[in-house]
Amino acid sequence: MNLNNIKNVVIVGGGTAGWMAAAALSKSIGTKHINIQLIESEEIGTVGVGEATIPHIKYFNRLAGLDENEFLRQTNATFKLGIEFVNWGKLGDSYVHPFGPYGIDMQGVHFHHTWLRQKHKGTAKPIAEFSLPGLAAKAGKFQHPRPDLKASPFSSMDYAYHFDAALYAKYMRSVAEGRGVKRIEGKIVKVKQNDKNGHIESLKLENGAVVAGDLFIDCSGFKGLLIEETLNTGYEDWTHYLPCDRAVARLTERLDDLPPYTRATAKEAGWQWRIPLQSRTGNGYVYCSQFISDDEALASLNKDLETPAIAEPRLLRFKTGVRKKTWNKNVVAIGLAAGFLEPLESTSIHLIQSAIARLMTNWPDKLFNQHDIDYFNRKTQAEYEQVRDFLILHYCATERNDSPFWNYCRTMDIPKTLEDRIAIYKENARLYREDLELFSSVSWFAVFNGQNIEPNRYHPLADILDDDLMERRMAELHRATQRCVEVMPSHEQYLVDLCKS
Amino acid sequence: MANTNIKTIAIIGGGTAGWMTAAALSKMLLPENVSVKLVESEQIGTIGVGEATIPDIANFNRMLGINEQEFLVATKGTFKLGIEFRDWGKLGDRYFHPFGGHGVDMNGIDFHQYWLHSKQNGNTAKLEDYSICSVAAKQTKFILPDNNPKSVLSHLRYAYHFDASAYAAFLRNYAEQRGVVRIEGKIENVNTHKETGNIQSVTLQNGHNVAADFFIDCSGFKALLLEKTLDTKFNDWSHWLPCNRAQAVASERVEPLPPYTISTAKTAGWQWRIPTQHRTGNGHIYCSDFISDDKANQILLEGLDAKPLGDARTIHFQTGCREKFWVKNCVGIGLSAGFLEPLESTSIFLIQQGIARFISLYPDGDFSEVVQREYNRLMSREFTQIRDFIILHYHATTREDTPFWNYCRTMTIPDSLCHKIELFRAAGRVFRDDQELFSKPSWIAVLLGQNIEPEVNEPILTGIPISDIQRSLDSMNNAMKHAVSRLPSHAEFVHKYANGVNS
Repeated sequence: MNLNNIKNVVIVGGGTAGWMAAAALSKSIGTKHINIQLIESEEIGTVGVGEATIPHIKYFNRLAGLDENEFLRQTNATFKLGIEFVNWGKLGDSYVHPFGPYGIDMQGVHFHHTWLRQKHKGTAKPIAEFSLPGLAAKAGKFQHPRPDLKASPFSSMDYAYHFDAALYAKYMRSVAEGRGVKRIEGKIVKVKQNDKNGHIESLKLENGAVVAGDLFIDCSGFKGLLIEETLNTGYEDWTHYLPCDRAVARLTERLDDLPPYTRATAKEAGWQWRIPLQSRTGNGYVYCSQFISDDEALASLNKDLETPAIAEPRLLRFKTGVRKKTWNKNVVAIGLAAGFLEPLESTSIHLIQSAIARLMTNWPDKLFNQHDIDYFNRKTQAEYEQVRDFLILHYCATERNDSPFWNYCRTMDIPKTLEDRIAIYKENARLYREDLELFSSVSWFAVFNGQNIEPNRYHPLADILDDDLMERRMAELHRATQRCVEVMPSHEQYLVDLCKS
Repeated sequence: MANTNIKTIAIIGGGTAGWMTAAALSKMLLPENVSVKLVESEQIGTIGVGEATIPDIANFNRMLGINEQEFLVATKGTFKLGIEFRDWGKLGDRYFHPFGGHGVDMNGIDFHQYWLHSKQNGNTAKLEDYSICSVAAKQTKFILPDNNPKSVLSHLRYAYHFDASAYAAFLRNYAEQRGVVRIEGKIENVNTHKETGNIQSVTLQNGHNVAADFFIDCSGFKALLLEKTLDTKFNDWSHWLPCNRAQAVASERVEPLPPYTISTAKTAGWQWRIPTQHRTGNGHIYCSDFISDDKANQILLEGLDAKPLGDARTIHFQTGCREKFWVKNCVGIGLSAGFLEPLESTSIFLIQQGIARFISLYPDGDFSEVVQREYNRLMSREFTQIRDFIILHYHATTREDTPFWNYCRTMTIPDSLCHKIELFRAAGRVFRDDQELFSKPSWIAVLLGQNIEPEVNEPILTGIPISDIQRSLDSMNNAMKHAVSRLPSHAEFVHKYANGVNS
């Protein structure tokens, strides 16, 4: 037994990030050899945005040992097959970024090259008709993928969820507490650091109690109680790339025929989300305060609500960017304490989950090996940058010139990494995925194509197939995809049946 | 392909690189759209090292639509399950770098962490005893991987040993059938455009002019176009990889036919043994600063395990790669792009990557800057990552029996590699960077094979009882032994498989 093993883990803050971390650690490391405590205060509210997710959440739920039906019931969840983007490339545009590939790859190259070949010829059907999740989303249908049906479009489709983040945190809390995580109620008033190395030694609560730990996980939200207020780690500001800095959110009544997708509608100075749950609908206008006032933003949000409001609006302020180091000394920041990227591609919960997984991979001992910490920080930085680039693409690939906000986005400087990616796609329709990058080449293609970036050429391998054969295969694929949508049950009905079981 | 105004491509040089490129382009491009020519001279020999490969070669053959059995017959090929390294970490050491991984990862934690944990608690089995490729290789057995993912044989990965000149000839036939025109001749002059500096044509000794819109330099070490004409700089890596010569000789076939390469560290370099169907390829790679050619020849011959067939050939080289691989209207593929010694059989893979990336970034007539930059970035990353992996073999040693090993053991290594070693030394962690060729299990095989042991155990394993871990490990090992005991011998499998073509 290594005497340097971590014995006491202290999680600071009990929002989505805190309880997800508690649930995952208590499952994978257990509480037999390690004591896990979570400090939260009922006086401090949680932000709990990010009610929409991406397919990776399923791995997390599996790791945490959740039963899917139970999870759906507990969190009022619905299924999500993708995101519909309205008015992004230009006013009147609409496209779906679906979960799962378009068509099937032929001749060893991505499907989109063959589709582009048809497009050059003038025989191509709209790309949306080759995506089963995309079509099912718009038709309000859902069923689970069937990976066993190898050649069928059912095998490659994927899905995520919309859920109530507060209920999810509550659910995670019950899971974590059931596995021995100890919750401590209280507000932190003092942080004690080691004189020599500055590591955090203990936290003092308002009631005088002292909580000591070897490793601290900062899930205290935007303010970063430990990572920033104590360790002054610094924040990399990305608002010049992603200028939105506020959101006004409002709950409304549930939608009829629950749509199995998120909608993101570009507006005068930002965009509005619509996230359907079983019990209600989440809505919010993410905007840039330089271009629109809070009152105007609220009025615009209200005007575009589809069902009656059931709560007062809430205003959130944020700054897009990432902490300079998300692991500093013996503090690991997870969730909003680590950074913020707007929820345009529903990545908030994923970034939490990914940080937890990375922490487990690089689980420290009391010596806190700097190589592990450096590696963790490098990977976190890369992950945030990759997501950032993908988000920026939505703003910069536009022809919109109907408002100062869009004029700014259309003409702003973008990161070199993104600039190259766009240039390479324009030249050869080539998509590449960096180092374990979150968004696959299919996602990049969906947005490139959905926002009207036209490549000059496609991959030479797509030309090898004989013309008749190619046309025949594409037609078969098209038919098979339509047929799959036809036989799918309605999302609403499917969900009701599952939640009953 | 849609609207590109490249009408003619000329490949300069017809070794392995030249004919692999020609074959791939002939598959991709229709002769009526683009005419592909290859200029080579019978007077200039080819190097044709790299008779051993890594599993990616199968993708290349599959892309061309080559039948595996025909390929093995034509190239006198055998199967390869990995490489045995002898005397590297210290004299007397042996370890196996298998294709595919070791064991099965459990609870999201790498297998080797479990093995290290069990080793400290008395487990005497070696890491490679949990690799299906290694277990089969040691018994000189072989079979193709099982498609059933539940079978332990589904983890098997393989590559080939083959006669590289026969492979080039096989691909020549393939390419010529698909319209590639071979031009015999030695190049006397390269003609460039006065303003743009682009290559316009090459003039042959017989006075003929071969013009093209795009040129692919497969002229080998001398890099006729990239270096001699376009003046592209070479990044010299010989301070990290000091070997600069090789002597190669074939010997008689060994029995039983081994399905793996052997690499034995010598006093000032190392020696390969590559078994093909009809003979064994051998070569001694060494650094001329530390040993004479005569002495190197003596070591080579003493290291043979069968009678030599003819005299040894000497090859001179310098390790390193070009600063740029694509300049103006010319891409260098093969030895003209760079050279890394064949310790991990990467030469043919680098050719394949050069081709695949050229095709996916296939240029328009205007040779967009961004496409070239991207190609150069990707190839440079590829060379650098492989370089680091090869340096590891030389550097991670306790050998101090010769000045050569003293140099390698104490030399300064690249930061990227240093970081990797330190991370492993701390708690046994390995991460694969950015689409790196060698995966985690490869790094682990060499790091542990060359005695770099982590200082502490994976802390997260603390809670699991050691008896549970040992039970899982034993059952993996038993399943492998059981599966391998029923396999045919490699020689028998090759014989039957190759004959299947003719029947």
